[in-house]
Amino acid sequence: MMIKIPAKVLIVDDEKDFVEMFSLRLEKQGEKVSTAHSGREALEVLEHEPIDVVILDIRMPGMDGIDTLRQIKKRYPIVEVILLTGHGSTETAVEGMKLGAFDYLMKPADFEEIKIKLENARKRKDEQEERIRQAEVRLLIRRSGDI
Amino acid sequence: MNNRNDHKANLLLVDDEDGFRTTIAKRLGKRGFVPMQAVSGESCLDVMARNPVDVVVLDVKMPGMSGMDTLKAIKQSYQKVQVILLTGNVAVSDGIQGIKFGAFDYLTKPVEIDHLVNKINQAFEMTRLEEEKQKELVYRARLEKKMVDTERLVSLGTLSTGIAHEINNPLAIINESAGFMQQVINSPEMSGFAQKEALLMGIGKIEKSVKRARRITHQLLGHVKKQDTQFSEVHLAALLSETLGLLKKELEDKQITIDWKIDKAKNKLWSDPYQIRQVLMNLLNNAVHAVKKNGAITLTTCETDDAVTLEIKDNGIGIAKENLGRIFDPFFTTKTFDEGTGLGLFVVHKILSGLNGQIKVESTLGEGSAFMIKLPKNGR
Ligand SMILES: Nc1ncnc2c1ncn2[C@@H]1O[C@H](COP(=O)(O)OP(=O)(O)O)[C@@H](O)[C@H]1O
Repeated sequence: MMIKIPAKVLIVDDEKDFVEMFSLRLEKQGEKVSTAHSGREALEVLEHEPIDVVILDIRMPGMDGIDTLRQIKKRYPIVEVILLTGHGSTETAVEGMKLGAFDYLMKPADFEEIKIKLENARKRKDEQEERIRQAEVRLLIRRSGDI
Repeated sequence: MNNRNDHKANLLLVDDEDGFRTTIAKRLGKRGFVPMQAVSGESCLDVMARNPVDVVVLDVKMPGMSGMDTLKAIKQSYQKVQVILLTGNVAVSDGIQGIKFGAFDYLTKPVEIDHLVNKINQAFEMTRLEEEKQKELVYRARLEKKMVDTERLVSLGTLSTGIAHEINNPLAIINESAGFMQQVINSPEMSGFAQKEALLMGIGKIEKSVKRARRITHQLLGHVKKQDTQFSEVHLAALLSETLGLLKKELEDKQITIDWKIDKAKNKLWSDPYQIRQVLMNLLNNAVHAVKKNGAITLTTCETDDAVTLEIKDNGIGIAKENLGRIFDPFFTTKTFDEGTGLGLFVVHKILSGLNGQIKVESTLGEGSAFMIKLPKNGR
């Protein structure tokens, strides 16, 4: 059996009960979960903890999901974001994807679907990191060649 | 002589005096009227029961059923028929009484023929006006009902999408809680727990119910209009193919024939493809559901300078007359809860009114249904 490497997931939603149950479920699934109840809190968490994937509710009071997404993508372009929407604004979700979100889910979402999207988002981040690492290695080699 | 267009054919002359009656009839004949004739109140009603009549010239003084009683009987059964009374010279009060009972007018005997012809013409004109008024009333009532319906549906739409959205969040919490409990119960530490199956069954039912509620909320919200509706060139035939592609499995299962009567190069419009796809999806879904195995769906378009009309016709179960007025109502469905939500046509209607389109339906129970949607080419 393959050993699962936990994904580092940040759940951001102002619905506390949802965050609580959803994180318990993801943890049971073997992921490493952090939580936040607002956009601001989410940015704070990201500053201190390494995160692979953010699961982000689009509609929150204060700084809404789309603003939060913009900030995340600006500061941590490599972190993948999956949007959650509780209402019919799939258009907002689509707008979010144009801003760099990986995918979106409509609440209440199917857990299997969440798992697949989470997995894919994490994979994309890993690949991206891998490419960056290789580029750095090439750069290093070239530099050492210069000497 | 029952030609409805030839109004002059629908005149009835009632008088018990044969001589007087035939003379008047002959004279009227010379002026282009060919009246039917009756000799008494009873026979007058008898003639009217068998022939269309617009104007009755009625003698007041007759043996048997009196003119006045005949008038009352006519007005009771044939409100639209105009009656001209003929009264004796000394009985003008009869005429006035008659008008109170609904007569058009009265003339005193002996009758001046030109006078009578004049009155008859006026009475005919009256029936024509009344008929027009009636038609307009019916038309206006229908229009008003349609407007009320549309308004009602729109406000219901706003309300229900709001509610659906508020319900999704608690639904998500229920969903995650049940899912978590399931994970816990399925974990190795719980393997010895005796009531495990019972608990899992309960949780399974919670999850199934969440899915059912979710189908409703998601369908209600599926169409919510974008803040900035993205208009672009819409290729109706291409959208139809695409949507049919999504229904491929259902089409194959029932071996449904799609009959294209569409010029695929035409039928372009400037509108919102996302919403139109939703409309086509809901209508085609219904058609697919309505037909039996080997059924057929016919797609026809008709294009004018400023609009495209698409007809989606199926030879399925059809819609009962008493349901026709309700199929666009939210939650009206004749399907079981896992087959339908009753929101499809409601959403279709909502989208089309937002896009300045129209929808019409024709259906015969047991034969099939045709839904016609009309969309403006330039989006307004
Ligand atoms: N093509 C059709 N043929 C027969 N009945 C139809 C058709 N389209 C709609 N209906 C009737 O209208 C009802 C409402 O349709 P709709 O609003 O789409 O909801 P749903 O399909 O979920 O019931 C259906 O349950 C069905 O009785």
